[in-house]
Amino acid sequence: MANSAIIFPELVNGITLGAIYALISLGYTMVYGVLLMINFAHSEIVMAGAFFGLFLLSFFLKFTFFQNNLLLLLTSVFLLSMCVSGILGAAIERLAYRPLRKTNRLMPLISAIGVSLFLQNLFMLTLSPEAKPYPSVFPAVNFQLGAVTINSIQIFIIIISILFMVALEYFVNRTKLGVAIKATSSDIETAKLMGINTNSIISLVFFIGAALGGVAGILVGMYYGSIKYNMGFTYGIKAFTAAVLGGIGNIPGAMLGGFMLGILESLGAAYISSAYKDVFAFIILILVLIFKPTGLLGERAQDKC
Amino acid sequence: MNKFLCFLLLIFTGIYLNGCGMKKEAGEGKLVRIALVCPLTGDIAAMGQGMKNAATLAIEEANENKVLNDVRFELLALDDRGDPKEAVNAAYQIASDKAVYGVVGHLNSGCSIPASLVYNRYNIMMISPASTNPKLTLQGFKNVFRICATDDVQGSFAAKFICKNSAIVQVAIIHDKTPYGQGLAEEFKKTFQGLGGKILSFEGINLGDRDFKALLIKIKSLNPGAIYFGGMYQEGGLISRQAKELGLGVPLIGGDGIYTQEYIKIAANASEGDMATMIGTPHEKLPKANDFIEKYKARFPNREMQPYDPYTYDTVNIIIEAIKAAGMDRAKIIEQIRAISYDGVIGTTQFDEKGDTLNKEISCYFVKDGKWLTAQ
Amino acid sequence: MLKKAKLLEIFFIVIIALAAYLLHLKQEFYLVHILSLAGIYVLLALGLNMVIGYTGLLDLGFIAFYAIGAYSAALLSSKGFSFWAILPISILITCAFRFLLGKPLMRLRGDYLAIVTLGFGEITRLILNNWDALTNGPKGLPRVGETIRPITLFSFHLNSEISYFYLILFFVAASIFAIRRIERSKIGRAFVAIREDEIAAEAMGINTSYIKLLSFTISAVFAALAGVIYAHWIGFVSPESFSFWESVFLVCMVVLGGMGNILGIIFGVILLVGLPEFLRITLGGEFVLYRMLLFGLLMVIMTILRPQGIIPEKRRALELKD
Repeated sequence: MANSAIIFPELVNGITLGAIYALISLGYTMVYGVLLMINFAHSEIVMAGAFFGLFLLSFFLKFTFFQNNLLLLLTSVFLLSMCVSGILGAAIERLAYRPLRKTNRLMPLISAIGVSLFLQNLFMLTLSPEAKPYPSVFPAVNFQLGAVTINSIQIFIIIISILFMVALEYFVNRTKLGVAIKATSSDIETAKLMGINTNSIISLVFFIGAALGGVAGILVGMYYGSIKYNMGFTYGIKAFTAAVLGGIGNIPGAMLGGFMLGILESLGAAYISSAYKDVFAFIILILVLIFKPTGLLGERAQDKC
Repeated sequence: MNKFLCFLLLIFTGIYLNGCGMKKEAGEGKLVRIALVCPLTGDIAAMGQGMKNAATLAIEEANENKVLNDVRFELLALDDRGDPKEAVNAAYQIASDKAVYGVVGHLNSGCSIPASLVYNRYNIMMISPASTNPKLTLQGFKNVFRICATDDVQGSFAAKFICKNSAIVQVAIIHDKTPYGQGLAEEFKKTFQGLGGKILSFEGINLGDRDFKALLIKIKSLNPGAIYFGGMYQEGGLISRQAKELGLGVPLIGGDGIYTQEYIKIAANASEGDMATMIGTPHEKLPKANDFIEKYKARFPNREMQPYDPYTYDTVNIIIEAIKAAGMDRAKIIEQIRAISYDGVIGTTQFDEKGDTLNKEISCYFVKDGKWLTAQ
Repeated sequence: MLKKAKLLEIFFIVIIALAAYLLHLKQEFYLVHILSLAGIYVLLALGLNMVIGYTGLLDLGFIAFYAIGAYSAALLSSKGFSFWAILPISILITCAFRFLLGKPLMRLRGDYLAIVTLGFGEITRLILNNWDALTNGPKGLPRVGETIRPITLFSFHLNSEISYFYLILFFVAASIFAIRRIERSKIGRAFVAIREDEIAAEAMGINTSYIKLLSFTISAVFAALAGVIYAHWIGFVSPESFSFWESVFLVCMVVLGGMGNILGIIFGVILLVGLPEFLRITLGGEFVLYRMLLFGLLMVIMTILRPQGIIPEKRRALELKD
């Protein structure tokens, strides 16, 4: 079955997939960096973001002004839905996690699972248990670059996600707020002593993570053409895996992990078996962790439950 | 410790009182419950909720038309989340409810089989509108029926249809690793190869995945004339759409699991020319079926019909019919159903000695201009 | 003091046994069934507690070993083995898997271990679903024409709900007894020492990776036990029963009930097994769709109301707060 002609298309597909995973895994990794908790509800924020994007898109598409101006349409849809998903993320933190900050580290995890169940069922009940088609705003054009065929949506996804990742790197490393995030993440108590309002920093981290998750949700909708209330779960588990693969708590690590996982999965499905591709991805993860117990770029992890 | 005991007592008395409450109500009037168990939440809730709508419609009609004087039918819809453990819990709940005379369910074979053991123990009849695993009716249970054909019928019909009506000789097969999808795909493969066709690849996918491009790129390089897909509309629609995006412009052929408007919604323009097989006579030829579609639309204007809704509607009506003839006797109802011949929206249903339907007529449908049309 | 607690426990078990018999007489099969199901989950939760509650390792793939237990039982039973022969074999097989997985992983810290166990859980489920020759894939076991033989005890066939309930109750009681013994032994104290401070434990001369591996492997005994009983009791196993969510709910039961505390865990199990059932019965008509929504909401509320677990472990409650 091995066939070298398909390697380039598979790589392109893997990178696109990886870009989406990477965007989502940033949310996991940032929250983990600050609070050392696995935010199980993040996958549902991706789903919610996709739905917010759908509403905004269908709303804006009613105006001819937006129909003729693709760039403006996309910018406004992305920014608005990022805000909404970001607020949702921060609100979840405020209501469901903050009261548990001083408790055992696993309690917020349980709360997050509850939130995840709640959100999933909320969207199913209030919207529809059926899949919702996504309006296609993009003209699907195939580009030929040497041996590689890539279409406009794939290019868009890769560009958008790289754009956001670079922006995030810049924000975290070069701005005052970003440095505050880094300080909070390295030691929350000391950060407090340094005069950082850690509560608002934590809210900010949830806001950013959720906003990026929301972007990923819209990209998923645009790429696959339909969204559903239960779409978050698969992405969540993959993105979380990606975050750990790269070294949890580490932002470049999450990106690396995301791209790696996407490519592995794509090649696994092509050259091994599509039914076993996740097995393949998880085995690689286990092997990486056995030989490098802190993930590819990570340094630390919490030991205690 | 005390608090703990109190709480324990509280929960169980809660469940207990609720259970008793149900029974009391049953004793007063002539209330006949028909239970429907399917996933109303969880990943395949759309299908389960569709089944609930169809069953509601059938029960409401029976009450309106006063099928039986002084008997009120009631739907007891229970959720099994597609989880075998919850399915068995629901089965016991039904077994403890004396007012239930028949069970419609479950959807997944993985739920139907363990639950059927319970129904058999308490001698309650069950008709599954959707579980296609052959094992279900091969357990030797007198009380277990199914109204959908097992996988062999549809898979081989599609293979024969292609060989006869098209020039396609090379097919790539994808299935969703469920008993339903895999069963269809295996039957298709067997028949198609028997007729001289060539199977280029046979691959499973995981439920819940959205990206099948990796697999499709590989399939494209094999140059198939068509893709046969054993599975449901969600994955099927995504596969059809992604195949065409990759420039693999061959039709996707599937079973009744993709015969729904949802499929066209997901695959969008890519679905043009795709084909599905469906049990029963084409509904244009059955006035009852058209009637059902109209009524369904009127009662649930915001809902798309789901693949198993017509089956569920017929199943409920078959049970009502049997109760009408046999009276309130669980054993007699089972006897009655063995002998029944019912003209419904999916054609005439009769059961063989195993409990499988004898209705093995299959029709083919094509997508044209965003609608499923009967193939000639 | 100790004696009183023990008497209370025995009293409690007797009460449950009697209550179940009463329900059986009143033909409340459903409630007896739910009690048995809760029993299975208590077994699982006791095993998981060994890892999470005592040693402090987060395990998100515990259900994989439940699956291995159940599948090995289904396979062996259709080959003609009896329950009493299967039990030790399945436990051995499951522990072997657990040991082989745990061996290279014990140097992983905290949440990395969590994701590896999660990965192993998914791998197990996918293999069960895909390896048709062994597991019959999605169609489940036993195959057409094969059956899982009922459990026999002194020429007495266990086939009613109540007999299975007593079997499960017996194993739960035996497990609790065994765990109490482990808890108070040298090994049990070593488990807790590792949870509290791994470096300090090492300094005290505890071979931490050995002890961790031990708790990891012992926990599989309970998973296998639950799996073997489940396969015989339900009579059918398929991959759907062993999803990731099952692992997650199990973690919820242990944590919500009160990690490290047996009573708390039982409480957590009853809460999380009983609540969806309670909601299933009470929510009729259109409200049936709101079941999982409410369940999710209640989970959040419960964690916020009882953040230390419903019945926290005494030893943990004495810990210094930092």
